[in-house]
Amino acid sequence: MGVSLREILTDYKKPASPADLAKTCAVDGNNALYQFVTTIRQPDGTPLMDNQGRITSHLSGLFFRVTNFLESGMRPIFIFDGKPPEMKQVTIEARRELRDEAAASYKEAIAAGDLEAASKYARSASRLDAETFSSSQKLLTLMGIPWFVAPSEGEAQAAVMAQKGDVAFSISQDYDSLLFGTPRLVRNMTVSRKRKVHGRTISVNPEIITLSELLSGLKITRENLIEMGILIGTDFNDGIKGIGPKKALKIVRDGAFDKTIKENCPNLDCEEIMKFFLNPPYSSDYRLNWKDPDTEGILSYLCEDYEFSRTRIEAILEKLNKGKGQKTLDQWFG
Amino acid sequence: MLKAAIDTEVFKEAVEVVAAIVSECRLNISANGLAVRAVDTANVAMISLELGAPAFNTFAAGDSQIGLDISKLKNIVASINKADVLTLDLPDGAYKMELAYGGFKYSISLLDVNTVRKDPNLPSIQLPGKVVIAGAELNNAIKAASLVSDKIAFGINPDNETFYMEADGDTDHINLEIKAADLKTFIPAEARSLFSLDYLKDMGRVMSKAEEVEIFLGKDHPVKFVFTIAGGEGKVEYLLAPRIESD
Repeated sequence: MGVSLREILTDYKKPASPADLAKTCAVDGNNALYQFVTTIRQPDGTPLMDNQGRITSHLSGLFFRVTNFLESGMRPIFIFDGKPPEMKQVTIEARRELRDEAAASYKEAIAAGDLEAASKYARSASRLDAETFSSSQKLLTLMGIPWFVAPSEGEAQAAVMAQKGDVAFSISQDYDSLLFGTPRLVRNMTVSRKRKVHGRTISVNPEIITLSELLSGLKITRENLIEMGILIGTDFNDGIKGIGPKKALKIVRDGAFDKTIKENCPNLDCEEIMKFFLNPPYSSDYRLNWKDPDTEGILSYLCEDYEFSRTRIEAILEKLNKGKGQKTLDQWFG
Repeated sequence: MLKAAIDTEVFKEAVEVVAAIVSECRLNISANGLAVRAVDTANVAMISLELGAPAFNTFAAGDSQIGLDISKLKNIVASINKADVLTLDLPDGAYKMELAYGGFKYSISLLDVNTVRKDPNLPSIQLPGKVVIAGAELNNAIKAASLVSDKIAFGINPDNETFYMEADGDTDHINLEIKAADLKTFIPAEARSLFSLDYLKDMGRVMSKAEEVEIFLGKDHPVKFVFTIAGGEGKVEYLLAPRIESD
């Protein structure tokens, strides 16, 4: 779920223009799929399913988002999480418990006929299973989009790829990406330009956060930003009660990080977390090669296997193929 | 600051020229007139327009840049009677531009310039071939090609001194050849590039009114169209990136 830095980031979020976006980018795949399975649902919280009861929310989300990316001139590579680091176990356990509780509450809400509550619990009970990943990866391959399973955290891999200049920016809703050092983080890349936040639907627009602007604006280093994360809480530690972004900023600026940690959580291995954010497991084994979408393959997979509406999928594929082979003026702008 | 009066017909044409490529743009205002240089969202086509102060009946302006919703403006000017004279009024630092004609007063909200894509630099392109033809003839060729395909090739054959436009559809083919002698200008060079008719249709409609359109061509290079509006006081340049010639 990442680190809650929102409060101090407001001034550094800039609207992302079409020109900012029409580039290569690394997408936090788990983050995107999780968004799809939590949000693409019927009013009572039931996900989209085919006749056999297989969930299709993620495939629908992925197909429309990727075609939207391609139409905007973006060239995405999807990065999925590999093996989570040991220190994430506590977070993973806690999430599992939350999900199990939500699943139980969902059943109760359905039995009581409370649709609103059911929808809420159904979202919280969402999980990504092996089938979600394999079917998504198959769809990406059919669409000609490269994907890669990171050795560890996906957003970390994406951040390093952006640092190396292999992609122009990374896409994730999680601010962790900044701690992992992505030079540019783009958020809110939804097709509908809407997001559900705490049960309400708000309109959102793509925004871009530039790490160097953020650090120089806050007058801190990236290490300081990671320290702030540790104080507030990351996926790898709980954080100190009562410390939010503003307080954390003050503490690191005052050079009081070590002292605060020693006083509040003396047993925390900050070194290990710091090291993980600064030098996360990374692999250069990925290929940035985009292919033409396999129109027939997509139609057969989505419309025959999963019973998507053929007219709808065909219309979008046709639009996509139209742009095929069109050069841009980029190479002449020099 | 901008305070100006202009014939509706002239203003309409200027807006349409820009609207054929982008739905919003930055408008550069100076004492010399108005200028736009913008690229469409897909980075495929560019428009540059310079509408000189003499194109206006009266014109007074200081340097500034504003963001304009061109699609909205196009709809507004479409409803104006051609005979009307239009006045434009933009006080310094204003968020709205006032457009008045025949008793109507439109107050148009401007876009935050920072949210509108920056003007691109002038690209460096060598386009060795050049022909000049009537805008109406060019538009007719584009319309004819659209009937059989979604792309058209423009080319120059220096050996037999012709300029050609051809479109290959799944089943049909259309070809128009014009001899150098029938062209207003012909600078031969080995040139052929393929272009999307989706873009050209909108450009063609605008160019059809121009008496002369200069076409600059290269090999698998963008095409440049240059023509004037507003009785020669407005200069327009379109640049369109080619498609990859394969299949």
